[in-house]
Amino acid sequence: MLQINNYHLSYGKKKVLRGIDLVVNKGETLALVGESGAGKTSLGLSIGGLIGRESEPANQAKVQTQGQIIFQGKDILHLSAEELQELRWSKISFVFQNVSNTLNPVLTIWEQVSEPYSSHHLGTRRQAREQARIMLDKVAFPSAKINHYPHQLSGGELQRALIAMALINKPEVLILDEPTASLDPITRQELVQLLSRITKDCAVLLITHDLSVASALSKRTAVLYKGKILEEGPTDKVLQTPHHPYMRALLRSYPHMHSSKDIQSINLNLKEPAEGCVFFPRCTQALPICQTTAPPVLEFKLTVLSANAKEELDFFGQNGSSKVACHRGGIVPYLVVHRLSKSYGPEFSLREVSFMVFEGETVALVGQSGSGKSTIAKLIMGLEKPDQGNILYEEQKTPFPRSQEFLQKVQLIFQNPYDAVSPRLTIKEIIQEPLLIQKIGTQEEKNAKAIQALADVGLPTEDRFLHSYPSSLSGGELQRVAIARALILEPKLLIADEPTSALDALVQAKIIKLLMGLQEQRGLGMLFITHDIALARKIADRILVIQNGEIVEQGLAWEVTSNPKHPFTKQLLAAASVF
Amino acid sequence: MVDYQAKKEFLASFLASKEIILGGCLAIILAASFLILPWLLKGDPYQTSLNIFTPPNKEYLLGTNDVGQDILAGLLLGGQNSLKVAVGVGILSTCLAVGFGVLAALVGGRLDTFIMRMIDIILVIPNIFIIILVSAYLKPSLGLEIILISLLTWLGGARVIRAQVLSLKERTHVYAAILFGANLAYIFFRHILPELIPLVLSIFLQGARRAIFMEAALGFLGIVDPNVISWGTMINQSLNFFYLDVWRWWLLPTAGALSLSLISLTLIGRGLEETFISNSERRSKIATDQ
Repeated sequence: MLQINNYHLSYGKKKVLRGIDLVVNKGETLALVGESGAGKTSLGLSIGGLIGRESEPANQAKVQTQGQIIFQGKDILHLSAEELQELRWSKISFVFQNVSNTLNPVLTIWEQVSEPYSSHHLGTRRQAREQARIMLDKVAFPSAKINHYPHQLSGGELQRALIAMALINKPEVLILDEPTASLDPITRQELVQLLSRITKDCAVLLITHDLSVASALSKRTAVLYKGKILEEGPTDKVLQTPHHPYMRALLRSYPHMHSSKDIQSINLNLKEPAEGCVFFPRCTQALPICQTTAPPVLEFKLTVLSANAKEELDFFGQNGSSKVACHRGGIVPYLVVHRLSKSYGPEFSLREVSFMVFEGETVALVGQSGSGKSTIAKLIMGLEKPDQGNILYEEQKTPFPRSQEFLQKVQLIFQNPYDAVSPRLTIKEIIQEPLLIQKIGTQEEKNAKAIQALADVGLPTEDRFLHSYPSSLSGGELQRVAIARALILEPKLLIADEPTSALDALVQAKIIKLLMGLQEQRGLGMLFITHDIALARKIADRILVIQNGEIVEQGLAWEVTSNPKHPFTKQLLAAASVF
Repeated sequence: MVDYQAKKEFLASFLASKEIILGGCLAIILAASFLILPWLLKGDPYQTSLNIFTPPNKEYLLGTNDVGQDILAGLLLGGQNSLKVAVGVGILSTCLAVGFGVLAALVGGRLDTFIMRMIDIILVIPNIFIIILVSAYLKPSLGLEIILISLLTWLGGARVIRAQVLSLKERTHVYAAILFGANLAYIFFRHILPELIPLVLSIFLQGARRAIFMEAALGFLGIVDPNVISWGTMINQSLNFFYLDVWRWWLLPTAGALSLSLISLTLIGRGLEETFISNSERRSKIATDQ
């Protein structure tokens, strides 16, 4: 129906769109989401032939385009002004954002809505008026206000009028550009319901930054960032388990009722990349190639699966259902634990534990003490050898004993900070210990790194502090020291074994904020082991519930905590802190 | 700028113990007199004379024995020999204890089993029995005596060291170091040895104390090299003349010197133990308070 092929658009030197490929079929709604400045509206306007057309003399100097926008077999970019006039408001209609400026202030709503009908000579003036009234009824515009002027109406009413106007000629393509921006939630909901009802026959391109609107109206979603589509896939999957780090960041920063985790942002490095991946400056899993070469659009594929392939694919999205523009094929699964078993005699055994931890993701492992949580941490770190099963780091099998490289990339944070640092070493010696062991850097470099690590965790960096002993520090400070020590090797994955259960709530909050901040900056994957499901709910993307050495339930944090399926999860939730 | 404050406090905590002060002073006085007095007095303990059983006088400050030898000179030389044995056995048996204990605990597995069973076997054989047998054949010199006593005294220490290392090995900061990729040597020197120092000191003191006592016992039984002057032999010989007044300046000073030496080492040992315990208690108390 509407097909966009490798469409580029630039205003002078500024590249706005960098090779867009999209198809919108009849009866389908495609949501194009992204932050402001991503180029969403430019794409919408291009489809309407409002910018970027070669025959548009006024624009020729500044605007350069490349590629095709094909509608009914013709390239919109090469149509004449008359042909376009023919298409606009009859075959291709628009609902723009900023409702108050779109309508002519000296025409009544009735006149305004009937205008596209009469200007395309589809019938008499009376028929036009009649059609407009039917349309306005359809969009539930209050019939008493049909002769009002735009300034007399509310935002929601104006938007209804605009929708009526867009649909009056039964268009085949409808571009909805932020149709619900600046409306209150209840009006927005009414409009969303209306739109989903009356746009069934069109091919709809929904441009929005509002993920809830995208979710309500569309079956497919594409994510636009700096003029490049980074991910495209089924809306429910994109909004549940996004595969591109940018989409995940967008989702995390968006407060919605289906998330229990605190909102989280992303590196704020808005430097324009000259070449390579547009997301490179903000990406935490980038490779050297990402800086130089634009990533190909790849079909999303989980090359390693932790256990039950069907369940896992149902959860993370079928292979090939989404497309991701990323050299790494989307968010990387840093840790894959594959059917891990370990038996300690008849009293306790870990049975076929399987899960994954992705880049920049927090997975909480929740369970009672003695359920095998710490055993899993030990097995991952290679302190013990599993009876069966594999542990994969970055999709590679881990050797036993663990390689030095693995021990650099994966760090463990312990429960009891008093015991985790040697009382006989100074803070500086403690923090530099990993560098000493791994023989990294000269003494000056070590000192600089130690100071940086202390600054990262919000501890003082003066000499006095560096040369003091752990006995002069509080538990919270010591845990920060332990975290600084773990971070000095710049790990990619943190296994945090009850890192805050020895601390009081205020200190815990500080440490958690610190860890979340580090995750935001560095894309740390985190396996957070805790017995506190209330805490897990606030920090984790996903929760694994473990009982007697078996994972009995796993899923998105909000889902596990609001719709527990397993009796043990229900029990945990019932016992969670409430006051 | 290093934080000397903590180190100063650490040292001060030792000087706060009365036992350490008393025992330390005693040990210093004894050792100093064994080492310095022979120089000043220039008496020859081996030189016999016709002045037998002389009571203390200006020439012989502690009189003479049955063959006219200077008792004080003998006492001092015996003290020197005891000191040598004490230090020698202390060092040797501590090294053996630490070496085998640490090896057993850190390497573990079959080596651990082997070392521990070996210790069990040696422990069940009565010490004095072995010593008498070996001595009877060899009439050991001072050096051999040191080796012999050391071989019999390191066992208990090794057990204690092993137990301590096993518990230290499970400390989280040791695991942390392992997870940063550290090898066993690093773990031992950086994380385990510093924690063992109090234990090593007390094993050393215990070894030294037992060595002095054992050396005296062997001398008393007369199964050492007869050319070596020892407090044990002196006590044994003086008992032969118990019916004379001579025991007052022959037996009493010798037995007194032996007792004082043992007391001083015991006092230091106890003092150290208490100080280390209270130091570590204070440390853990600070930690839990916060």
